[in-house]
Amino acid sequence: MTRRITESREVQLWFGPQHPGITGNMAMQVFLEGDTITRGKTHVGYLHRAFEKLMERRTFIQSFPIVCRICVPEPDTNEYLLAAAVEEIAGIEIPEKAKWIRTLVLEMSRLASMLMVLGGQAGTMGNGVPPQWMIALRDYILDRFEELTGGRVYHMYIVYGGVRRDLPPGFAERMEENLRRIEEYLPYVDDVIFDNAVFRKRTIGVGVVPEEWVDEMGLSGPIVRAMGIPRDTRKDWPYLAYPELDFDVALAEGSDIYARALVRRKEIQQSIDLIRQILAKMPQDGPYCAKLPNMMTWKVPPGQTYVRAEATRGEMGYFVVTDGSDRIRRVHVRGPSYIHGVSLLERMLPGTNIADLSALMVSLQVCPPEIER
Amino acid sequence: MKTILAELETRFGATGARFQRDDLASIDLPADRAVPAVTWLKEHTPFVQLNHMSVVDWIEDGQFQVTWLVTDPRGCRSIMVNTRIDRERATCDSVADLWPQAVTYEQEINEMFGIDFPGSPRMGVPFILEGWKDMPPMRRDFDTVKYVAEHHPHRPGRKHHDPRTYVGERFGEKGYLHD
Amino acid sequence: MSDRDWNDPRLEEALPPVADDGGPRPPRLPARIEDIPAHAPIDDTCFLGARKMPTPIGLPEAVQRIKNWIRARSLWVMAYGTGCGSIELRPLATARYDMERFGIVMRPTPRQSNVLIVSGYLAVKSLKRVVRSYEQMPSPKWLVGLGSCTINGGMYWDSYNTINRLDLYLPVDIYIAGCMPRPEALLAGFDRLMKLIDRGEANGWHHYLENLDWYKANQRKLFDDGDMPDYNW
Repeated sequence: MTRRITESREVQLWFGPQHPGITGNMAMQVFLEGDTITRGKTHVGYLHRAFEKLMERRTFIQSFPIVCRICVPEPDTNEYLLAAAVEEIAGIEIPEKAKWIRTLVLEMSRLASMLMVLGGQAGTMGNGVPPQWMIALRDYILDRFEELTGGRVYHMYIVYGGVRRDLPPGFAERMEENLRRIEEYLPYVDDVIFDNAVFRKRTIGVGVVPEEWVDEMGLSGPIVRAMGIPRDTRKDWPYLAYPELDFDVALAEGSDIYARALVRRKEIQQSIDLIRQILAKMPQDGPYCAKLPNMMTWKVPPGQTYVRAEATRGEMGYFVVTDGSDRIRRVHVRGPSYIHGVSLLERMLPGTNIADLSALMVSLQVCPPEIER
Repeated sequence: MKTILAELETRFGATGARFQRDDLASIDLPADRAVPAVTWLKEHTPFVQLNHMSVVDWIEDGQFQVTWLVTDPRGCRSIMVNTRIDRERATCDSVADLWPQAVTYEQEINEMFGIDFPGSPRMGVPFILEGWKDMPPMRRDFDTVKYVAEHHPHRPGRKHHDPRTYVGERFGEKGYLHD
Repeated sequence: MSDRDWNDPRLEEALPPVADDGGPRPPRLPARIEDIPAHAPIDDTCFLGARKMPTPIGLPEAVQRIKNWIRARSLWVMAYGTGCGSIELRPLATARYDMERFGIVMRPTPRQSNVLIVSGYLAVKSLKRVVRSYEQMPSPKWLVGLGSCTINGGMYWDSYNTINRLDLYLPVDIYIAGCMPRPEALLAGFDRLMKLIDRGEANGWHHYLENLDWYKANQRKLFDDGDMPDYNW
């Protein structure tokens, strides 16, 4: 045992996998002196399903149902990245309409995930009203997903060459109706979360990430944008239909929990505007999927690539290596939580108050399935 | 970026420089010059971020391929630095003193592939698996189906079909979507 | 939660020395758990060696039926999202699907709940904690296996880290199939569970205590690093 424990100066606390304040299923082993954390360690592995080993045994098309389930609130980014990586190696061009539909699906899933995270951020403060609202608002988006793809949570909609089905008729009108309903609630959300004295007192100045750590540790996503640095994978490394869309990078100042929540709130509005733009600018006819050979026996030439996309949490990347057979040789998923949840969180813990720990974890948006896949 | 790749070739004996996309290049290095090259990239060029680090098991060549993905965040470009190390005596230099997140990557690679990174903290500390006694599971010679048959039994009466032939057996050739 | 982690000497790195102010100190504990002298050999499947006995279910039928009726309409679910399926537990609590009208609420700790929903696959590491949480729950308790991963391994049937059959390790009262089940399917499952409880047929906790050796033998095959979950009181 450490000397400090035997001298009874420190208390070891397992913020274990079963805790209402934890995001997902991970454990934090923290050492406390009084109320202040002196150091901590992240323990992951509770959700390890060995995706990468499983994908070595699956054919190309069989990998999609597996890959969806890496990140639960936002599965479409994973599907897109796998499809984009293999398409790039195989040299397949996707049709124009498929590009726009993929962008639409990615933005919808970003919106659904952002709503849930903002609600969760208020929930960790003990404010139980915004989570109920946000999860209910997220249900509107899940309805649209169900109409489009057949599944509420896991879609398996993006496939190699494009998407699985076309948009049903009248989709744009129903989507607009849902967006209008979500926008009705956003002023209430601002009042209850951002104008709330308790929330402000607990989050302003708390959980500050210094700017030097961005390049040192490879941070990305709302953590970087809350420092005022305009880094967004959709603008820096453009993909799909994003070059043709007009949006500003959501920024905030202060790099504390409040600033990150503000960035997410701005990105909710940004996603709503983007969905409207996409539905307005999308080509109405054209193929939604390129013609591909028999998926069961398709062989892709050897190659190696890394593709990236903007997930809600930051920059998500897939490192894919193929070797000319009918299976992928190696898929390595680089989730943003791999760095935010382990290296960054452990570095930020000394000096934090134990009461702020779960707010900090939600603010860094640690998603344990991405860390251990 | 071409100048930086050319510089890597002259200084560190790199080979196989190619552009996967406009913003992604790939280059191969010998095993002992790989980490000095990555250090040089971090200290003397704009490629200061380590985005990713990965290992591919080329069992038929008897080698592991270790890849570092270094990024220039302001110029928005990346280089994949590849190297090959021997599979039997799997050890590679560590970059943990350059980037703090490399500690986690190397810890996981050590656990999953059995590659040793001398000098990296947390070598041998389990990250994902608990109480694991078998060989490192991501190696290609680890048979996961055999392991599951021994340790995680299924319900009796389970049938297995190979989808590549099953669709043809049930529905004929028309069962496949594309030809 | 094994000794290996917090006894790790690497955790000692870069700690400032403890200041000695001469105040009262508690007695020093031995450095290792193994040095603490053991008393008589204890049954290590149970905490403090005390094996819990299954409670008899022989009461007058009217009393039993009233008890079952009350229990079924007040199911308190422990908020433990063990896998992907837990994402559909949140919409259940909202007004659209509204599980609270059935008396189902989410509780934060095992001691205050009587239903554990295993929502999906279980990694071996997670199973150990789930068993521990299940044993900490007071009887009567029920276990709902959500998703196809608890039934026969589901999509991860060939993964070395996930279990394939949940009922080898914990007694499952009802399975809800799907990947993942919609909130309406969850409500249908709860409805079925309430009917089973009314009829007195959902006695998984009883089965666990009566066949404790069999369950513990299966669990020991997985967790053979000496850190068995043993909360059984």
